[in-house]
Amino acid sequence: MKKRLYLELENCIGCRSCLAACTQCGGHEERNRNYVYDVNPLVNRQTMPLMCLHCVNPACARSCPAQAIQIHETGAVLSALVEKCIGCQNCTIACPYGIPKFDTEQNLMYKCDLCIDRTKDGIPPMCASVCPSNTLQWLTDEEIEAKQKQFNLDNGKWVTSLPFLESETNVRVNLPGILQGVTKLF
Amino acid sequence: MQRDKFFKEVDNLHHPNETLVRTHCSYCGMQCGMNLRVNTKTNKIIGVEPRYDWPVTVGKMCPKGVTAYQQTNHDDRLLKPLIRDDKSLKGTKLGFREATWEEAYDHIVKNFQKLQKDYGNDSLSVFSGVSMTNEKCYLTGKFARVALGTRYIDYNGRFCMSSAAGGFLRSFGVDRGSTLPWTDIHETDCLFIAGSNTAECHPTSMFRIWNVQERGGYLIVADPRETPIARRADVHLDLRPGTDLALANGILNLLIENGFADEEFVQNHTNGFEETKELVKQFTPEYTSEITGVAPEKIIRAAELYGKAPNAVVMFARGIEQQHKGVDNVSAYTNMALVTGKIGRAKSGVATFTGQGNGQGGREHGQKSDLLPGYRKITNPEHVKEVCQFWGITPEEMPKPGVSAYEMFELMDQKVIRGLYLLCSNPAVSAPNLNFVRNAMKNLDFMVCSDFYLSESAEFADVILPTVTWSEDEGTVTNLEGRIIKINKAQEPLGESKPDWQIQVELAERLGKGKYFSHLKTARDVADEFRGATKGGYADYSGATWEKIEKQDGVFWPCKSEEDEGTPHMFLDKKFYHPDGKAKICALPYRPPAEEPCEQYPLRLTTGRVVYHYLSGNQTRRIQFLRDMCPEPYVEVHPETAKKYNIEHEERVRLFTRRGEAVYKVKITEAIRSDTVFVPYHFGHKESINLLTNPALDPMSRMPEFKACAAQIEKQSIKKV
Ligand code: SF4
Ligand code: SF4
Ligand code: SF4
Repeated sequence: MKKRLYLELENCIGCRSCLAACTQCGGHEERNRNYVYDVNPLVNRQTMPLMCLHCVNPACARSCPAQAIQIHETGAVLSALVEKCIGCQNCTIACPYGIPKFDTEQNLMYKCDLCIDRTKDGIPPMCASVCPSNTLQWLTDEEIEAKQKQFNLDNGKWVTSLPFLESETNVRVNLPGILQGVTKLF
Repeated sequence: MQRDKFFKEVDNLHHPNETLVRTHCSYCGMQCGMNLRVNTKTNKIIGVEPRYDWPVTVGKMCPKGVTAYQQTNHDDRLLKPLIRDDKSLKGTKLGFREATWEEAYDHIVKNFQKLQKDYGNDSLSVFSGVSMTNEKCYLTGKFARVALGTRYIDYNGRFCMSSAAGGFLRSFGVDRGSTLPWTDIHETDCLFIAGSNTAECHPTSMFRIWNVQERGGYLIVADPRETPIARRADVHLDLRPGTDLALANGILNLLIENGFADEEFVQNHTNGFEETKELVKQFTPEYTSEITGVAPEKIIRAAELYGKAPNAVVMFARGIEQQHKGVDNVSAYTNMALVTGKIGRAKSGVATFTGQGNGQGGREHGQKSDLLPGYRKITNPEHVKEVCQFWGITPEEMPKPGVSAYEMFELMDQKVIRGLYLLCSNPAVSAPNLNFVRNAMKNLDFMVCSDFYLSESAEFADVILPTVTWSEDEGTVTNLEGRIIKINKAQEPLGESKPDWQIQVELAERLGKGKYFSHLKTARDVADEFRGATKGGYADYSGATWEKIEKQDGVFWPCKSEEDEGTPHMFLDKKFYHPDGKAKICALPYRPPAEEPCEQYPLRLTTGRVVYHYLSGNQTRRIQFLRDMCPEPYVEVHPETAKKYNIEHEERVRLFTRRGEAVYKVKITEAIRSDTVFVPYHFGHKESINLLTNPALDPMSRMPEFKACAAQIEKQSIKKV
């Protein structure tokens, strides 16, 4: 059963375990490939992971003059091929979220590959395995649909379950605000 | 057994030339399951792989857990015993020379025996910790009493769990940190969480806690800071540090007034209701608000939600316990569950978030000054007789009760205690009033420290013994649920390091006490003796064999026989552990913190953890990822307060109290009360906030008041160093 990365941004506690876990994936050379932001650090403790969304038609790959960014059959948008990447950083600029990172020493882009050596065999990626708050989850399409229904809200103040943020992505996201629509038990 | 909706059958990734060793994290009481990846060619630990099959945490780990494996083969590991001959270098890292184990043992035995000959058996002391297995905790108690024959043994749980223990003993007659398994938590309807920065200190509880809200349940959080969990709470009770007792009384008053008391339960299963009802009457929302600084509407709302909830769990942690009325705070919050009868059934109850990995088990088996294995009391002659018989000594040979952790330093200062064997703890960072404590350690005649890194406390030692990390030995620990679990060995000890139980056996032999220890040749031998020693005590582990732990995903104590499957839920039969079977509802008059703000020291200082570090930081400050994330302490200041002192974000300021001072970078945040400042406590030397904290002790638990004292800020002349 195909599973996808699903983000529920409301839940993030800013522990950065996802970043620590990213360094532990065998293929990641102990470098983490995503981001966690303090949304408003002088005010409150809200945080948010910024992950590669594995676009169906990825701007990073389209912008790459050397075809260094391959798309795996699972839909994962892979890290740059060492032999092809020319270090132009077009991808970082093209990506709507600025995801691809750059190693100046190796003159090489590296990015989230969705732990491809795990996810190709249906094993959850490291970040979603460890995330203590269930901000990052590894779910089937049915499970994601149920979540998006459960938390669907568009009331002028909160919009939570957009089908996609920009264009179509393999990763699915629910925005903060999901609890606003929950019916209380009593 | 307790597999729930979060549990998924997932395979692990197996890399070629690697085996996975199933175990648990080395750090906090969550004891998250993890697999250690071991290279089969080098037989060394090289990484971590989630343990999806562990029912409590289903693969989840915080960043400490993810990087915990990096401790084992770290460059800073102590590989050989070290001796320092020049006493003038005490308190520094300097002057140590490598020695053989034989030489180190000889040196220790010679000095221990001389001190005991000159000043009596009680001139030696043992200070231990609970980030180690039950077996080690048990043997440390036996080593102090039988091998050294000293009354002075105590441990770092006095800075951690002792108030929870005292409160539960008084309320329930038994001290099991949680009355229900963690797999119940997400199914309750209301969580009332006081003094717990759960998202940072026990992060892998969070997916269950958030799920309560996703189901439409309520989350109430009492904390002076808007921590990540408080930020999302339905009600945030933003109280002044050190005023919990008033808040708990105020909520109890409303529960009773508004008819939420369960009269049948109160009548049949508790004592003390009428007296308590009378006492809390004065804690009207307005009066409670005056003391705590929490708006009356919030207090009313919180009481209404907890009262109405069909099922609810009251949870708390060091925020309420590390006060000089910590025991009262625990009993006062526990009162809420007893008065409303929300206890003794699934999905309802009371729990404390145990701080250290084995904070639960380690306090039960005799390394506390007044306790013996199985939670027996050293002041109870029957208990002493049972244990003496088991150990093969006479009751006359059993030392008398000693004193608590902080009081041991007072006795060192008075030269009553002259020697110290320190293991599994770093009081030079974690004790309160550090100027005094460090000085007391410096003036010891002789000190041995057992550790796997050269901690700040080891800097005061004459001999350092290299011990193993958690991954190089095996044994059991008891997690925050009261579930006994198994830690497995993934690698042979690095260098010449040895497990503490082996060190104690070898030292005992050289002290002429071999006949009580020499039969302990493996960790399993210690485990079997340990289980036997708990038999008949109320923390009875005798039926919790390693095989049963493996088969059942852990065993909840009490577990009294081979057939007994253990006790996930406490008090299902509504029987409490006091002689009459009833729980005690406690009438607890309010007392303010030992030190209240004044003109000279107008701010309230409180301390705590950050998610990246564990306890004194001796382990986590050495791990690159964690150090990168949080390299130094800081002081959290509200923008209004910052304005008053004319200080800016990231500016360095001097923070001081009656006991000490330190310089910290300012972190401006609206997520704290404007009368309160906060500093994390994981840092050593000049950066330790415990230079400033107040050692005022709880009269029952002897817990110091880390969480509230009076402080002042001074702007430095040079900005932004
Ligand atoms: S692991 Fe989860 S909770 Fe922690 S920072 Fe990452 S997304 Fe947020
Ligand atoms: S999010 Fe950015 S890096 Fe990821 S696939 Fe889309 S364009 Fe590429
Ligand atoms: S420190 Fe605690 S929460 Fe974090 S991984 Fe270890 S046991 Fe789990």
